[in-house]
Amino acid sequence: MLPLAGGLFMIILRDPELARKAGIISAKAQILTGSADWGTYLNFLAQGTGIGGFALCSFILIWIFGREFSDRTVKDLLALPTSRTVIVLGKFVVFLVWSALLVVWACLLGLLVGAAVNLPPAPASVLIQGLLTFLVTALLTVWVSLPFALAASVWRGYLAAAGLTFLVVILAQVLVILGWGEYFPWAVAALYAFQAAEGNVSLGGVSYGIVILTGLAGAVCTLLWWELADQSR
Amino acid sequence: MPPAIQTDRLVKRYAKVTAVNQVSLRVEPGEIYAFVGLNGAGKTTTIRLLLGMVKPTAGEIWLLGKKLQMGGAKPWDKVGYLVETPEAYPELTVRQNLEAMRRLRPGCPIKAVDEIIEKLGLTPYADRRAGAISYGNLQRLGLAKALLHSPTLLILDEPANGLDPAGIVEIRELLHRLARQEGVTVFMSSHILAEVARLANRIGIIHEGRLIQELDMETLERNRQRRLLVQARDLLRAQAALAAAGYQVGATPQGGLEIRDARAIQNPEEIATMLVQAGAPPTGLVLEEEELEHYFLRLIGQAGGEAA
Repeated sequence: MLPLAGGLFMIILRDPELARKAGIISAKAQILTGSADWGTYLNFLAQGTGIGGFALCSFILIWIFGREFSDRTVKDLLALPTSRTVIVLGKFVVFLVWSALLVVWACLLGLLVGAAVNLPPAPASVLIQGLLTFLVTALLTVWVSLPFALAASVWRGYLAAAGLTFLVVILAQVLVILGWGEYFPWAVAALYAFQAAEGNVSLGGVSYGIVILTGLAGAVCTLLWWELADQSR
Repeated sequence: MPPAIQTDRLVKRYAKVTAVNQVSLRVEPGEIYAFVGLNGAGKTTTIRLLLGMVKPTAGEIWLLGKKLQMGGAKPWDKVGYLVETPEAYPELTVRQNLEAMRRLRPGCPIKAVDEIIEKLGLTPYADRRAGAISYGNLQRLGLAKALLHSPTLLILDEPANGLDPAGIVEIRELLHRLARQEGVTVFMSSHILAEVARLANRIGIIHEGRLIQELDMETLERNRQRRLLVQARDLLRAQAALAAAGYQVGATPQGGLEIRDARAIQNPEEIATMLVQAGAPPTGLVLEEEELEHYFLRLIGQAGGEAA
């Protein structure tokens, strides 16, 4: 979806009058700032990943873990020769593989759509920098989603964990506006993408450290919870 | 050979509720042990404790000679289980569900899936989605998952739940066969004493978290109350004759006489002869055995301090 939306914005940016006449946008529309080129387009993809990608990744993870509780199949996984740790790690591996495939898919589709909407040729350095920003944003987004496996497990299903995702997205927006975004792990990926678009990444090691620790803590706590918590339902 | 299951003063408390209270069990290899209690008596919690799904508040558990510890290595490759209601991945077929379970049990051969499908009568439903099969067949699928890897210890929570009468007989025969021919130990829970009495070697009765009685089938038979019901045209004369012979005679609500004396119960023909000689020949003589359900309710009533 994101590359297609990006392609649409590039068409609009390139010729707003034509877009108005074709009815794609309202006559009163406030057009995005920027120009229709590869740099703007790839930055748009990275920023979209920073905001929407987190919700997508957390929903995937919530589904992978939460389904065992919603379908009540978790009890079949608790007394097996395959340890609970291996089962949880297996679920994380599936999540990471799916996420990696999604990132690759979004990259390829992004390049394809960019070429299809006839973006003007750009130097290789612009493409590499744009893709690198996109990949780093995606990596931060995927990693910071890991604690939602714990939320889906502790709350035994999809609903509460999905609600938490929405809450975290809203909280991230508020904290960014208040200037605390760099210390809120779920705001760091989007902040990075926006700052990279402006060519001035000011996030410090603390922000990246918070993201790494949050993901790690989420994964470790999920493992411990599956191994040690009472499974009485 | 160590016991298949052994627990030592097992306790599980949830806040102020004691779900399992000082339960010490010992189930020998090859035995069919039925764990009977009302809903909420502590059966499922005990089973979850045995399977390491919940931590005991106190007490210890040994399964197949190994002490159970949360998070530790356990003998699960030899244990099959079914806890509470059977569940399966609804979008996968019966066969795919079993295949998923097989892969989680290293060493379980590929052919085991087809074999268990046939054994549990699931062949017509093998390629149907688990979400679209009846509760009875879902129960069969749950049992198939428990039996897939030919375990030496089966822990089953209400295995006959949702099965039709033919299915109940089928599962009973299957468990009998597994215990007798393959030496599989079966620990099963039920809230219906009569259902398990035909199958089990030994029965443990749990009430309000406590194991109130453990008995083998002979003891169960001995403990059940029996009475001899007497009908005669001249009940007054019959009652007088029986009382004169030293029997404690009571009246039944249906208008007959009842004798609970062991001598009369063991020799009803003597009662018949005596009544004929006394000029009050019996028109009916029935040896009635206490229903298992009544026995069960009487027992838990005593445990609860009230008359059943």
